[in-house]
Amino acid sequence: MTQDDAAAQDAEALAATIWTQVDRALSGVSARPEPSVRDLIVHIPPDELVRGLRALKHDAALAFDYLRCLTCVDNEDDGMDVVYHLYSIAGRYNLTVKTQLPPDNLAVDSATGVWRAADWYEREAQEMFGVRFRGHPDPRNLLMPEEITDSFPLRKDHPLAEIEVLQGEGVAYSEEPA
Amino acid sequence: MNNDLFGFEINVWADAAARLGLIVGLMTVVVMGLIYGERKIIARFQQRLGPTRTGPAGLLQSVADALKLVAKEDVRPRSADPWVFELAPYFVFVPIFLMFVAIPFALRWEIRVLELGLFYVLAVSSVNIVGWVMAGWGSDNRYAMLGALRAAAQAISYELPLVMSLISVGIVADSFNLTEIVRSQGQVPNIVWQPLPFFLFFVAILAELNRTPFDIPVGESEVVGGPFVEYSGIRWSMFFLAEYAALFILALLGAAVFLGGWAWPLGEEWGLGWQLVLTALKAGALIFAVFWVRVTMPRLRIDQLMAFSWKVLLPISFVQVLANGLVLVYEPPQHIANILLAAVSGAGLLLVVWIMNHSVGKPRPRPVLSPRAATAPTATRSEAAR
Amino acid sequence: MTTVPFPHEHEFETQDLMINMGPQHPSTHGVFRMVLQVDGEVVRDVVPYIGYMHRGGEKLAETMDFRQGIGWMDRTEYLAQHNAELSYVMAVEALAELEVPERAQWIRMILCELNRLSSHFMFTGAFGTDAGIFGTAFVYSFREREVILDLFEEISGDRLMYAYFRPGGLAWDVPDNFARRVAEVLKSTRQGIKDMDGLLTENEIFRARTVDIGKISAADAIDWGCTGPVLRASGVPLDLRRTEPYLYYDQLDFDIITGTNGDVYDRFVVRVEEMRQSVRIIEQCMERLRPGPILPDRLPRMLRTPPGEVYLRTEAPRGEYGIYMVSRGGNRPHRLKIRSSCFANLQALRDMTIGSYVADAVVILGSLDIVLCEVDR
Repeated sequence: MTQDDAAAQDAEALAATIWTQVDRALSGVSARPEPSVRDLIVHIPPDELVRGLRALKHDAALAFDYLRCLTCVDNEDDGMDVVYHLYSIAGRYNLTVKTQLPPDNLAVDSATGVWRAADWYEREAQEMFGVRFRGHPDPRNLLMPEEITDSFPLRKDHPLAEIEVLQGEGVAYSEEPA
Repeated sequence: MNNDLFGFEINVWADAAARLGLIVGLMTVVVMGLIYGERKIIARFQQRLGPTRTGPAGLLQSVADALKLVAKEDVRPRSADPWVFELAPYFVFVPIFLMFVAIPFALRWEIRVLELGLFYVLAVSSVNIVGWVMAGWGSDNRYAMLGALRAAAQAISYELPLVMSLISVGIVADSFNLTEIVRSQGQVPNIVWQPLPFFLFFVAILAELNRTPFDIPVGESEVVGGPFVEYSGIRWSMFFLAEYAALFILALLGAAVFLGGWAWPLGEEWGLGWQLVLTALKAGALIFAVFWVRVTMPRLRIDQLMAFSWKVLLPISFVQVLANGLVLVYEPPQHIANILLAAVSGAGLLLVVWIMNHSVGKPRPRPVLSPRAATAPTATRSEAAR
Repeated sequence: MTTVPFPHEHEFETQDLMINMGPQHPSTHGVFRMVLQVDGEVVRDVVPYIGYMHRGGEKLAETMDFRQGIGWMDRTEYLAQHNAELSYVMAVEALAELEVPERAQWIRMILCELNRLSSHFMFTGAFGTDAGIFGTAFVYSFREREVILDLFEEISGDRLMYAYFRPGGLAWDVPDNFARRVAEVLKSTRQGIKDMDGLLTENEIFRARTVDIGKISAADAIDWGCTGPVLRASGVPLDLRRTEPYLYYDQLDFDIITGTNGDVYDRFVVRVEEMRQSVRIIEQCMERLRPGPILPDRLPRMLRTPPGEVYLRTEAPRGEYGIYMVSRGGNRPHRLKIRSSCFANLQALRDMTIGSYVADAVVILGSLDIVLCEVDR
């Protein structure tokens, strides 16, 4: 398959989606579409993200008024993705918005001003991945004890350390002569 | 100085001691029986068996529980106020037992016949709220404090309908002597012509006893036992004993005042045994009703409880007292008096039922069934969403 | 006319009381903690604390291959296990592009709806206790739930942790007496729903305690990301079985229940009515169930998916249960995010509770029907 074929296929896949409408709503924001298994994915750079999300929510035709889910994906050396799953209750559209954060600057503006639902999701992502959400009203830890702020358990470089150590110790004990 | 105890001549002090001893012994047994009965009855309501393992049919369960409670460590929180905390059970326990002095079981079977027996019982019964507040305050626990304040508010509110309902009966019977009240309803018990005071009395004793739907001070799912949350062992069991003793006493009181006590329907000529059986049956029916309400009713909220007392029960009880006062003052012929009382009572009762249906429990439309067409996705949209 | 101030008005100060409810409290449904700031009996502020059950489940799921992950889903949502498994296996199927045989799909629907029934029975029982009934609603609900769990045990071999669904189908076929047993279960369930209506919905005191309590408007509920019965009670007919049909829900005839008021009563009644709809759905599924295979013909021994990502959501009893699965190829997910339905519903607790009474706070929390394992994961 040549480059052109793939591009044509992508264009065909995009034509079946709501990309044209999203593109119109996101005028002035540099967005890049990507078809996926179920929902359309739109990539927006981090510094334009909240502007884009707000535009998506307040667009009359799309009206993404419902934030389904917000989470992070650790891409190891390539930084992190912050993923927003949006839904429009009136139009029944789904959309996935992704923004890629460089490893040296894991920060993005908070979406709590767009949907209040983002509150706890962002707190969770912050403590689990170390992504900072600028302007979050209550950036305390949500699930973990409040004093743990230097360890991010869902990152790929965070080992299941204690389990491995414990298992290792168990083996060591059983091998020792009684 | 001698006195008459069940037909025997006996020294007055020995008589008093014997009577009090009888009462304390009787109470312990009765309370254990009540606890066992409650567990069995509630179990049947809930399709369970209740206690079965301890003794034949689980009969010794209460004994085992009592032994366990006595053997448990008596813990006092360090930050509790020692005197208030330790004395609170007595302030709950003693007034309840003092109520027994005037309660008649059968003809001439009471500790003392008091001319103002009804008045005395009401006066003494309201003292125990002091113990509740002491327990709540002394525990230094916020749940306990909240529970104690709820208990105080509730007790003060429901004292009034209780007093009003009993006063209206006393007015018609022309006496506050419990024996006289029983005798006055030899043919027809008070509940027939005055169902409203009986209803008020029943609701008020549920509140006095902190039973569902008025178990707000001790609500398990809200304040986790309320004032008793920090108590354990023997002190907690004193609260428990007092609660069931109060249930028994108020049921006896209700049986005597509203259900004709030992007299109706057999009359006073029948022997002591029959009289005791009648009293026990009537009190037992009341206790059963309390248990029944307990297993089927949710709990009211504190403001709803207060509103129900002050805005519904109290005004209606005033109307009943007014009607009874008319009967007392103008002394109409017996059948006219009865019809007047029954009319006022019945109307009041219907009003209460109407209020409960339409104001307390607000009627609501059932939720909407969205028909299939309204929510089925349109083809283009669902395609577009993919 | 001049108003004369009460002489002690300025000397007499009151102070709000902080009450800590949980993590061990009879009505916090697991290890949930909320700190109530109360003025007398009126709640001025609520601060919820979660995370006591956090087990790093998403991290664990990234270390498990696709079959081990099924068992883990049971442990995140221990009251609607089949629904949780369904989201997971459907996510794997979407990534691996597996076709599922028809019989397996129908059985999945039956089990998911039965699980919805058992979960809602758990709710009605626990909610009765929250509202102050001394265990009666609880025992009646549990009798019905037990009947359903017995059936699940006969099918999967376990009362709670079923791990019965597989990517591509089911672990094994249902027993031969399945149709008869489902009919028995439905008979007792119908009676159980009637009991719940009689014991709770029709009760005056229950209505007094629930009507107009903990109201949340449709706009607020959407903004907080509420789903399931909590959202539908506010009048939004969002039910994924209808709006984005999966399995064969689009072939069946059933109603979406919506409330009008968004209060605790509506959340309760919506669930009770949903149980009636679930019974309807199961009956229709049983009519359409035909013999056939329950796994695809060719299924690799070790399942691998091509790279890709999918956010797969199904309608669990408590709302949208979503699995966001990112695969980099291989036999385990690169990232697995569980979108918990209660997590979002619980966020709205503060809005619902402020200004109500302490007793209402308990009832409102109960009406959200949270499962802390699912919230904390």
